[in-house]
Amino acid sequence: MKSFITSTAFVLLASTAMADTITLYTSQPNADAQRTVDAFMAANSGTEVDWVRDGTTKLMARLRAEIEAGNPQPDLLLIADTVTLEGMAQEGLLTAYKSPEAAAYDAALYSADGYYHSTKLITTGIVYNTGVETAPTSWGDLSDASIKGQIAMPSPLYSGAALIHLATLTGDEALGWDYYANLAANEARAQGGNGGTFKAVASGEKPYGMVVDFLAIRNKADGSPVEFVFPKEGVSYVTEPVAIMSTAKNVEGAQKFVDFLLGDAGQNLVLDMGYIPARDGMGVPEGFPAREDIKLMAFDPAEALANAETNKAKFAELFGAE
Amino acid sequence: MGATHTDGGSRSEARLLSAILVVAICLTLAPVLRLFVEGVTDEGRPSLALMADVLAQPSTLSALKHSLVTAGFGTLVSLVLGAAFAFLVALTDLRAKAALVFCLMIPMMIPPQITALSWTQIMGPSSVLLKTLGIAPPLGAPQPLYSPQGIIFLLGIQHMSIIFLTLRAGLRAIPHDVVEAARISGAKGVRTWWQIVMPLTLPSLAAGTAITFVTALGNFGIPAMLGIPAGYATLPTLVYQKLAGMGTTVLAEVSVLAMLIGGVAVAGILLQRLFQTRQKLHLVGSTSQPLALPLGAARLPVEIFLWIVVLAILVLPMFGLLATSLVPAYGVSLRFDTVTLASWHEVLLRQPVTARAFANSFGLAAGASVALIVICLPLAWLMERRKTRLARVFDSLLDLPYALPGVVLSIAMILLLIKLPFTDATLYGTIWIIFLAYLARFFAVMFRPVQASLKQFDPAMDEAAQSVGASLYRRLRDVVFPLSAPAAAAGAILVFLTAFNELTVSALLWSSGTETLGVVIFNLDDSGETGMASALAMTIVCVAIVLMALIQLFSRRFPKGVVPWQT
Repeated sequence: MKSFITSTAFVLLASTAMADTITLYTSQPNADAQRTVDAFMAANSGTEVDWVRDGTTKLMARLRAEIEAGNPQPDLLLIADTVTLEGMAQEGLLTAYKSPEAAAYDAALYSADGYYHSTKLITTGIVYNTGVETAPTSWGDLSDASIKGQIAMPSPLYSGAALIHLATLTGDEALGWDYYANLAANEARAQGGNGGTFKAVASGEKPYGMVVDFLAIRNKADGSPVEFVFPKEGVSYVTEPVAIMSTAKNVEGAQKFVDFLLGDAGQNLVLDMGYIPARDGMGVPEGFPAREDIKLMAFDPAEALANAETNKAKFAELFGAE
Repeated sequence: MGATHTDGGSRSEARLLSAILVVAICLTLAPVLRLFVEGVTDEGRPSLALMADVLAQPSTLSALKHSLVTAGFGTLVSLVLGAAFAFLVALTDLRAKAALVFCLMIPMMIPPQITALSWTQIMGPSSVLLKTLGIAPPLGAPQPLYSPQGIIFLLGIQHMSIIFLTLRAGLRAIPHDVVEAARISGAKGVRTWWQIVMPLTLPSLAAGTAITFVTALGNFGIPAMLGIPAGYATLPTLVYQKLAGMGTTVLAEVSVLAMLIGGVAVAGILLQRLFQTRQKLHLVGSTSQPLALPLGAARLPVEIFLWIVVLAILVLPMFGLLATSLVPAYGVSLRFDTVTLASWHEVLLRQPVTARAFANSFGLAAGASVALIVICLPLAWLMERRKTRLARVFDSLLDLPYALPGVVLSIAMILLLIKLPFTDATLYGTIWIIFLAYLARFFAVMFRPVQASLKQFDPAMDEAAQSVGASLYRRLRDVVFPLSAPAAAAGAILVFLTAFNELTVSALLWSSGTETLGVVIFNLDDSGETGMASALAMTIVCVAIVLMALIQLFSRRFPKGVVPWQT
């Protein structure tokens, strides 16, 4: 009983009483989140970071519930996509902060008002199990009838990156919604997030898939039997932006965190963890083609935000997903 | 403390009874009532519109069908496995029964999501085990467990211990002489079974089946790990997906779904009661000597077969879990040069969430056990002494929060506690909402054994104490508590072990800082960190087995009845 009281008291205190604690909600994988937080705390001694990880969609649902209950927990969000944050900024849920580091970034990578700043580039391409006979090279290859029922992809109803991927591909003139209809006809499985998709491909259960680059490239480096392909049509991308909540209890600490992520140290860490940094002139991690060889497909966040609900509904109808 | 007079004692008893009853009712029945209100009102006015709306959705109907199919056939699998083991262990002269029983209890103590995780790792194209044996299915072959059959199979294994325990208790109550009499009258092997043993055990079999069905219906871990990747939703996973994707804006909608699950669960229990009342058989005589039918030459083969089954359902999946936790990346096969402890190191030593989850799960489980002893002991005793109408009504309803699936209770708790009455405060997002949900959920687990033990207790002792002037508190402490302590300890052990591994309730109630162990494993696997999920799962399995082994080890020093699986 005593340990119970101590632990609950600690949990209750942690979010309120300690002034120099910031709370972060992030969709980064656990190990990366821990490394980011450790590096930040090493550079800013005296500021503690409490963090919670979950998929972007689930994290947002939780946050909405907390806002409704009148007790939003996080000071900061570091989640997959700018579309979600643009929506939150329009609702007045975010605080504007113009980070001095933003000068080293392409203007397309942060909100002009300072509501959010992109931290890295995460592309979605094709992953396949090295045991297959023919390697796919284009998005079109996944709708080929010869691999019917052998494709896995993350569901846009579940993952923020997958929703943007859907918006990008369906917005492409050559692919469009017909492409998704073909995928559905090819019995592609669209359930769960990127983690589940990668597992299905690595285990050989569904040897072909669409997945975020770092999962495939990093695990390949650790020995997973997979290859990652940047399809010839180009790749969709999300930028994992960081934003400060309008209800943040520790705004100063949160601003320090934003500056750290965008600064040299933070961006080198991004590179080191195996992601493409968003900052200009940073290079790419091992296993990636040169930055100028990665073809990014056109994407309009405002349009994606406006179409998000219709896109989800159309997708659910095509794939019969809940 | 001044209640030395008999009348005074009686008045203080009445006051205490009312006070504890109010607490108990608030804990157990208020959430269920609140849920019911949500489903049948629309902006404060009675309305069935929402209910009709939700029930007409195709997703609701298919999830209902899936729930009935998986829970129904899963129960059947449990029934076959559990009954076979129960008959053999209770009625025959098998050796090493204690070890067998201990091993059969383990599946129940392993969290369902770990069962699912471990089985998926020994089947399918990437199974290290099948690869080593050279019989791995080809690339692109579906994972056979991501299917209704997979869910049914694992639900069956997960819950076979329930059938085993209830049926074994029933079988042990059959007196030796009944079977002896049948034999003397000339009944042979099979006939003794069908005409004597089977009818006598039907009531306990029916009870076990009903509990298993309701537990399978409310299971979240297995259909979540196996069904979500296959697009096969049951009612609990549908509720989870709706809440996870859309948050509390869909509370009213999911409360209708929760009531639907609750309705099916209650129907299952009522059906069993009906069946049980029609099947009344009375046993005469004592149960001093249980049966021990000699198996003769068949004994060794039967023993070997039983142990192979036990090893298959326990050791094989654990081997899969261990193999996955030791390789550097998913899909790499396990060899001497690929073994790494990186996942173990990361999840146990670097992730702060792990320590937080251990502290939370341990604190919640221990706290719930202690709090329930404090509430249930005096309540059971007072209800036994003073059978007021309210107490009788409560007695007939208190199983409800345990019988209802965890998802139903979680939704009820969110509705009840998201805005506390008369204040702006909320318990949603704090650890207290999980704690209160655990108290409600496990109330019956603690209360029923204590109540049963107090029913056998001779009131003369308490009256004697009262007549020499012992106060209410003193009598509770010196007379009632020592007498019912073994039952309370058994209840506490069960509450602790189940709460420690709990996922269904906490999956919907956790928040930043209040993660439980079940939640952490589920989320790790969900994000693709299967190695870390496996390492943490192995740790928890070991903790559960060590706890059980310790209890088993000290069981000789405990009074009879303390160790729940030895009754």
